[in-house]
Order: sequence, then structure tokens, then C-alpha cells
Amino acid sequence: MFDVLAFTALGVALGIFTGFLPGIHVNNLTPMLLALAVGSAFAPMTLAAAIVAMTITNTFISYIPATFLGAPEPGTELSVLPAHRLLMQGKGYEAIKLTAIGCFGGLLLSAALIWPMLLFIGPAYSAIRPQMHFLLAAVVIVMVALEKSKAGIFWAVAIFLLSGFLGLLSLDTNLIRGDVALMPLLSGLFGVSTLLLSLGNTGSMPEQRIDDGPLEMRRDLKPLFAGTAAGALTGIIPGIGPSQGTVLAQLATRSGGTREFIVSVSGVNTAKALFSFVALYAIGRARSGAAVAVEQLMEVGFRELVFLVGVALFVGGIAVILHMKLGRFAARNIGRLPYRATCIAVIASIVGLTIYYSGLIGLLILATATAIGILPAVVNVKRTHAMGVIMLPCILYFAGLKGSVLAALGL
Amino acid sequence: MEKITKLGLLCSLVGLAAIYAGAIHVRPSVTPIAKIDNEFIGLKVIISGQVVDLRESNGHLFLTLQDNSDGTMAVPIFSSVRSQLGDSIEMLDEVQVTGEVTLYQGALEVVPEEAGDISIVHSPCLAISSVDNSLLGEPIKVRGVVDKREIVGRGNIILTLSEDGGQLAVFVSSSVAGSSDFPEVHVGYVVQASGWLQMYRNELELQVTRASNIKVIEAE
Repeated sequence: MFDVLAFTALGVALGIFTGFLPGIHVNNLTPMLLALAVGSAFAPMTLAAAIVAMTITNTFISYIPATFLGAPEPGTELSVLPAHRLLMQGKGYEAIKLTAIGCFGGLLLSAALIWPMLLFIGPAYSAIRPQMHFLLAAVVIVMVALEKSKAGIFWAVAIFLLSGFLGLLSLDTNLIRGDVALMPLLSGLFGVSTLLLSLGNTGSMPEQRIDDGPLEMRRDLKPLFAGTAAGALTGIIPGIGPSQGTVLAQLATRSGGTREFIVSVSGVNTAKALFSFVALYAIGRARSGAAVAVEQLMEVGFRELVFLVGVALFVGGIAVILHMKLGRFAARNIGRLPYRATCIAVIASIVGLTIYYSGLIGLLILATATAIGILPAVVNVKRTHAMGVIMLPCILYFAGLKGSVLAALGL
Repeated sequence: MEKITKLGLLCSLVGLAAIYAGAIHVRPSVTPIAKIDNEFIGLKVIISGQVVDLRESNGHLFLTLQDNSDGTMAVPIFSSVRSQLGDSIEMLDEVQVTGEVTLYQGALEVVPEEAGDISIVHSPCLAISSVDNSLLGEPIKVRGVVDKREIVGRGNIILTLSEDGGQLAVFVSSSVAGSSDFPEVHVGYVVQASGWLQMYRNELELQVTRASNIKVIEAE
């Protein structure tokens, strides 16, 4: 029991670390935890607890750099603009509170929904599996069509194809290992590109107001439910990220507005994190880097699932408090921080980590991904089209066409 | 803004072209199995070898391939891929597999993603009269008429196959003979058997280790 607690605490600490640094993802640290498992006396369960704790904590904390630096991690990219808007109105802490409501509410709701969901996830998955490429393609088409203007649709398609081609070349060739390629790909498309653009903002940071009112979950039930449902969907279906999930949830519920948006997108994120572990049990598929790691540690049966969900809920309670405290600290002190210098330091650390983990090839991928990631903001379309980086390879895979496409390209 | 758009587009295209050129340069190539080690994890390779073990479970097919380099490699063919595969895979077939090297429960395997990643050349059966001591310890495949069917010990089966005057004993242990997918075999049937050639009480004997390695070709 004590070692479970100790490893959970370690996971929380690592989650804070990965959450704060936009270039470091949970996936960069799981190999370290897996290495601990080999030849050590620690039970796989304790290490799995650390991985779950790290994933959940990371989900909460990553909204702090997303809000205050405009530096998203994959999954938080859609919240950057609305959260940043609140920041510029001096309401940075309110944005943090909204993400706390979304993350924690999404976690609680999805834990409550696991039992009913388990009954139909398995059959639904086997029914959908053969049609998965159509489903994914339909999501892409809806996302593109939502751009409405002709120019918007043109750019959305272009960005989807560019990022998709980049994903195919980086993830499915021998240039670099697929799991290593993910970090430069995603931090380029969603991190560095945003940071570079925010370097251009010369406006000064307004004074931040701190409203210490309690968290009110009741008035946000609708976006929370929408977010959780979308999170469950994206936790089970590969290739769909939290952003697509949020947009679909918004379409389905016709909800709008900054507040609802931030709550539902952060709800999607924790629900997805939790459901990727549920997917391990229900359909035997790993839908996130963390789930892959847990799968390598142990076989997930019902007992293990209950344990993982228990850890997630326990950690959620801790993470929401840490998130609010750290967010408050950030709101108090953001004005004192030299904003440009901080952005440059974060970019430099991403570049450094990329070279360390994946060498010059990684740097080339990072640069290309950054160039593609800048396009959505300058041509004014949603950044989520750049999820083509994972969607396109996924669609080709499920359609059974990946081999022939790679062969046609001479690869 | 327009400048940044053009610059971004240009950089993306140049970057993609460079990555494409790099990817062409490191295309997967046929790799001797013995050379594949942990350094290869996450990379795609092509391996080509003989099926020396074959096991079915829940619709998945688990092969072990052996090539000239004397290395062996596990190749799981998951049911989704297997169902697309037009041809069946048998013991001793020559199989070429393109797939990613992954680590599963401490061992390396090469995992094909789709049916197109697998090509199969069926190996011909060996004439029973040509089976001799020189093949001891090797995997072989033979075909013949069942002359005799004996049950020895606790449910082990010994079949005597004959073909053009040659005869060979085929030993099927009770665990294999008792499994649900072991076919009904009677005297007079023509069967194909694959397994390892061993010596038992000074007689050559083919040991069948999987139920799927006995196939009834003609039943009387």
C-alpha cells in the first residue's frame, strides 16, 4: 500500500513537471518508468499507478502554460485562444478555474459512466471497427466543412494534407522511430508554432484579478456532459484527438461561448485520459501513450481497471487543488515575468529536448511541423486540421491502404 | 500576414521534401534475422524465412520464422490481418514479412500491419523414401497414406504414413491429439504432416507439436 502511495506521489510530481513544460510530454517519461519495472522488485501495479497519476496530473497542469504562455500541448490547443482572451482581460485565473471545473468534472463524470459504458463499448467497437476509416473520414469532412468560406475550406484541406503527409513520412518510415517522432511532430504543430506567433504580440500583460469564489460545477453540467461523452468517444476511437471531440460535442449540443467551450474541452481531455485505460480492458486496445505503457506492464482485467480508476480519482482530487494553487501563483506573477524571454526559453527547451531525444532528423521534423502549424493562425482556420498528422495515417491504416500508399510513394 | 503564409507554406514544402528524400534513403530492406536486436525496435524491416513453428489462438496466428542466418523471429498475424490473407500459411512455408520490430513480453517480434505485408511460397512435401538420418533434428513436411493408427500410452497417437514404398512413423502426443482442432484421422486417409524429425528407439520418427500441423488431404 505504501509503495502505491509513494509511486502515485512520484507520478503526480512528474505530471506537474510534464504539464508545465510544453515540450515534455507524458510519453517522454513513461519509458523511464517502464525501465524501472524491468528487473525491479516493484509490482507492475505500483508503476501503473505512477503512470496513471502522471497522466491525470499532466492533463490538469498543462492548462497553465496553455493559458499563460499560449503554449498548448496536444489536446489543449483549442483552449488556447479563448483562455488567452480571458488572460488578456485580466481573467487568467478564471480561465484556470474553468479548466479545473472541466478537468475534474470530466473525470468524475466519466468514472461514474464507466459501468454503463462498459456494457456497450465492446459491441459498439466491433461494429464500428470495419467502418472506422469512414467514421474518421466523416469527422475530417465535418471539421473541414465547418470552415464555411471557400478559402477556409481550401486551407483546411491543404493543412490536413500537409500535416497528414508529414505524419505518414515520420511515423511510418524508418527515418525515425514512430514513438520518438511524435514529440517533435506535436510540439511543432501545436507548441512552437503558437509560441512563435505569440512572440509577435507586443501588448503588455494586464493586471490579473483573482476571484476566490468556490468552484461551481452545477451551472456547467451541459458542457461537462458533452465533454465527457466526446472524451469517451475519443478515448476509444484512434486518431480523434480531444479537439475534434470538443468540436463534435459543440455541434451536437449547439453550445457556444468562451466559458462553456473551455469547460467542455478540458472535460474531454480528462475523460479521454481515463477512457484510454478503460479501452484497454473493454476492447484490449491502447489508445494513448500512457495506456500503451500500462499494457506493457500488466494485463488489465476488471480488478486492475477498478484499481486504475481509483488511482485516477484519488489523483484527480489532488491535481485539482495543485492546479488551482499553481494557476493562482502563475496569475499573481505572470506580470513580473518577461513574457517574450519566457516564450523564447520555452522554444529553446523544446528544440533542445528534440535534439536530445531524436537528433537532427527530429529537428527537421520539428521545423517542418512548426511551419505547418503556423499556417492555421495566419490564414485564420482552426488549428485542429493539423491533427491530420495522426488522422491521415489512421484512415489509411483502417482502410487497409497504408501499405499501397507507401509503396506508391516508393517507400 | 501574407508574407508569413508564403514563408510557412514554403518551409513546410521544403521540409516535407527533405524528409521524403530521407525516408526513401532508409527504406526497409531484407534483414538477416540474427542481426535484428533491440536497436531495431520501432523500425520496419523485411524478413524472409521458413515457418518452423505455427500456433493458432483466438483467430490469431503466431509464426516463428527461421532464416539462413540461423536466427528465429516471432511473427504474430492478428486476426484482422489474417482474415484479409487469401492464402493459408503452413509449417515450412517460405514467408516474407514486412513489419515493425516490437518488443512483446521481453521478446522481439516483427508485426505485419496488413495482408499485403506478407507473401507466402508453399514448400513442397518431401518424399517419404528420401527421409533419412541426415535430416535428424530438422523440420520436415511429408504426405502419405495412413497405413496404421496406434494409440500408445495415455492417448498418444502413432500414425504410420507410407508413400511409394517408403514408411515413416508420425508421433502425436496426447496433448496435441486431444486438442479440439486435431482432425479425425483413420487408416486409409491421405494426410500431410509437418514437424521435427527425431530418433526414437533407433527408428526415425516425425514429431508433430501442433494440431494444425496435421492436415487431412483425402478422407476415404
